[in-house]
Amino acid sequence: MRVGTWFAGAGLAWAAWGLPSVAQAPPERVVVASKPFAESYVLAEAFSQLLERGGHRVDRRFGFGSTELVFQALVQGEVHVYPEYTGTGLAAILGETPQGGPDAVFRRVAGEFEARWGLRWLPPLGFENTYAVAMRRAAADSLGVATLSGLAQIAPTLAAGFSPDFVGRADGLPGLANAYQMRFRETRALLQAVKYQALAAGEVDVIDAYSTDGAVARYDLAVLADDRAFFPPYHAAPLVGAAFYAERPEAVRALSELAGRIGPELMRRANERVELDGAPVAEAARRLVAEAGLGGEGSGAADSEAVGRAGASADQAGAPGSAATTAAGDERPPGARRSVRELPAYMWQSRVDLGRQAGRHLLLVLASLGAAVLLAVPAGVLAERRRSLAEASIRFAGLLQTIPGIALLAFMIPVFGIGWAPAVAALFLYSLLPVLRNTFTGIVGAAPDAVESGRALGMTERQLLLRIRLPLAAPVIMAGVRTAAVINVGTATLAAFVGAGGLGDPIVAGLALSDPVMILSGAIPAAALAMAVDWGLAKAEARVAPKGVRERRERPS
Amino acid sequence: MALIRIEGAFKRYGRTAALDGVSLDVEAGTCLALVGESGSGKTTLLRAVNRLTVLDRGRVLVRGESVAAADPVRLRRSIGYVQQDGGLIPHWTCLANVALVPGLLGLAGPHALGRRALEAAGLNPAEFGARYPRDLSGGQRQRVAIARALAAGPDVVLMDEPFGALDAVARSEAQASFVALRESAGTTAVLVTHDLPEALRVATRVAVMRSGRIVLEAPAGELVERAEGYAAELLRRSGVAG
Repeated sequence: MRVGTWFAGAGLAWAAWGLPSVAQAPPERVVVASKPFAESYVLAEAFSQLLERGGHRVDRRFGFGSTELVFQALVQGEVHVYPEYTGTGLAAILGETPQGGPDAVFRRVAGEFEARWGLRWLPPLGFENTYAVAMRRAAADSLGVATLSGLAQIAPTLAAGFSPDFVGRADGLPGLANAYQMRFRETRALLQAVKYQALAAGEVDVIDAYSTDGAVARYDLAVLADDRAFFPPYHAAPLVGAAFYAERPEAVRALSELAGRIGPELMRRANERVELDGAPVAEAARRLVAEAGLGGEGSGAADSEAVGRAGASADQAGAPGSAATTAAGDERPPGARRSVRELPAYMWQSRVDLGRQAGRHLLLVLASLGAAVLLAVPAGVLAERRRSLAEASIRFAGLLQTIPGIALLAFMIPVFGIGWAPAVAALFLYSLLPVLRNTFTGIVGAAPDAVESGRALGMTERQLLLRIRLPLAAPVIMAGVRTAAVINVGTATLAAFVGAGGLGDPIVAGLALSDPVMILSGAIPAAALAMAVDWGLAKAEARVAPKGVRERRERPS
Repeated sequence: MALIRIEGAFKRYGRTAALDGVSLDVEAGTCLALVGESGSGKTTLLRAVNRLTVLDRGRVLVRGESVAAADPVRLRRSIGYVQQDGGLIPHWTCLANVALVPGLLGLAGPHALGRRALEAAGLNPAEFGARYPRDLSGGQRQRVAIARALAAGPDVVLMDEPFGALDAVARSEAQASFVALRESAGTTAVLVTHDLPEALRVATRVAVMRSGRIVLEAPAGELVERAEGYAAELLRRSGVAG
């Protein structure tokens, strides 16, 4: 009894001592994510800035590859908040067809998401967004098309270019084709980055757009009237995770500040700045927040100049920024798109970020490759002694190789969440085949007659392996490692889609923002890294070849 | 008792009988040549001696001890072995190759033994010791292989077509060097060859094999006169007799 009391007392004392220290621990960073298009980046950045202003630390994971990826990550609790559209929630996630107006849809998804996953839709931001179908104005005029019904009549003579999301979704092309009996001569999936150029260049005649698209006015496009009301208008709102909603009420309050404040005109203007003027996302988001009347402490007025300056100094003070936001600080007049000639200057300006991304990229490759070598080399050695196993395992590794990178990454998310782990896991699986196959081939092909005579003279299997087979197989194994490494440097750019960072970050952001300079700022270092890795491992390959079998340079005799 | 005794050896590969009841004695200090056409079972028989082939039935005794009961690694280290292409380890120098078995056996000064073996095989260790196998001619490689088989001073050496890949000149030189080596060391040898003149030149006894059986076994000097039937025909075809 006394002992029990003592324990209880000690326990209480420990708890009393321990609790405050737990409470004092800095709260976890709020993970803010976006999908890979400009509006999503701008809204996610606006969320981030509001959170930071409220004293919350933010981890920006922008540019997730698709709705499925970012939604999975939210359900797993790896992402805390991202901007979503009620229509996407209804059609793409719940798989339902819309009924009623935008408010009815909001109520439906809010109730259903909370019931199924505990996820919360915060109050809508204030603009309604919907898909639209657009053509070049001149083409629409000359063809006499003003409505989607009219378009359906001549669709069989036209080529369409739609964003990948639109092509696959029930509230996108399949539903549209059904509602209007519309069949195009040709349908291509086009990324945001190239859709408008393709339309302007006449490569396609029809594209999908958003009602808040900045580009519609700029490219002089005709938006066709939805005369059968197929595209219902949807709200945009922050979608937040269950645990986050319960545990971080203050952060949720900060996110809710934007509710009802972003009208369609504000959103369109913000998109235009990013997509057409080439303004940095951080800058466009800052102006959006200011124009929404949240321009910082005490000043409700939207003095965008002042806010812009204040924001710039905040950036210089070392506020964390993702790839999309790091270009902050370059002054450019509105309407001036970054030209490719500015690439060296841009890369120089972003050198710190690019360096960090290259480092992370290399780390992704090394970690996955190292793990693959640790598994595949022993497996390849074992396979030599069990040939039936060899064929099966090489075939299996070959099968893994055929899975598209982005799909393999998506498969990893339910198991590993987002970020580092799924990317390393996927790259690891890709590395297995070259290393396994080359180890097996190298071991089998290592001077069979020398192995035979070694055995006949009394070498043990272990001695044969360590002293004859492995040294002779080393260059072949190294060639497999080299192949895997080069594949991995390329594939690792996809890791940005699951929030793993690396040189894919600027590529993905550049694709989303139609910014070729940003794309190249990631693609060029990635290509250089691949060549450097190839060169370095070629040297290593030559070096591990034992002396008696090493290739010799021809010497004049 | 014979140094090597084979009793009722049977070995099948699938439906083919490689050895179909072979019994044979090899006396210490002799050199037995196994001759016959491809597929007659001579290599299978040779490899049964150091247990590279495991018999289905019958037994092999080396120094009076059944090889089936012996530790194969220890058995093989006590028996020299030379194969047709030499089987030299390509990323080891000639000296390292020759010092292999002394090293495996943990003998003192394996490299000194290796150098002596190279010298005995007619190769200057200072000139050839540091070279890699690919830097040698075929005949030199084969001499290194023979030096390697004999470096630890085994009482038995097994040779599978050791001169088969050499041109005529290199071949007769290597044969002569082997005969001298073997006779001076008193080593017992079993040699597989499809070349009857070679068998007569190198061996003290010859066994003619056909379809997994020995059809004739005789001292080298008496082979021609004792040959009849298949053996006589084989001799005739090889240009050795009438």
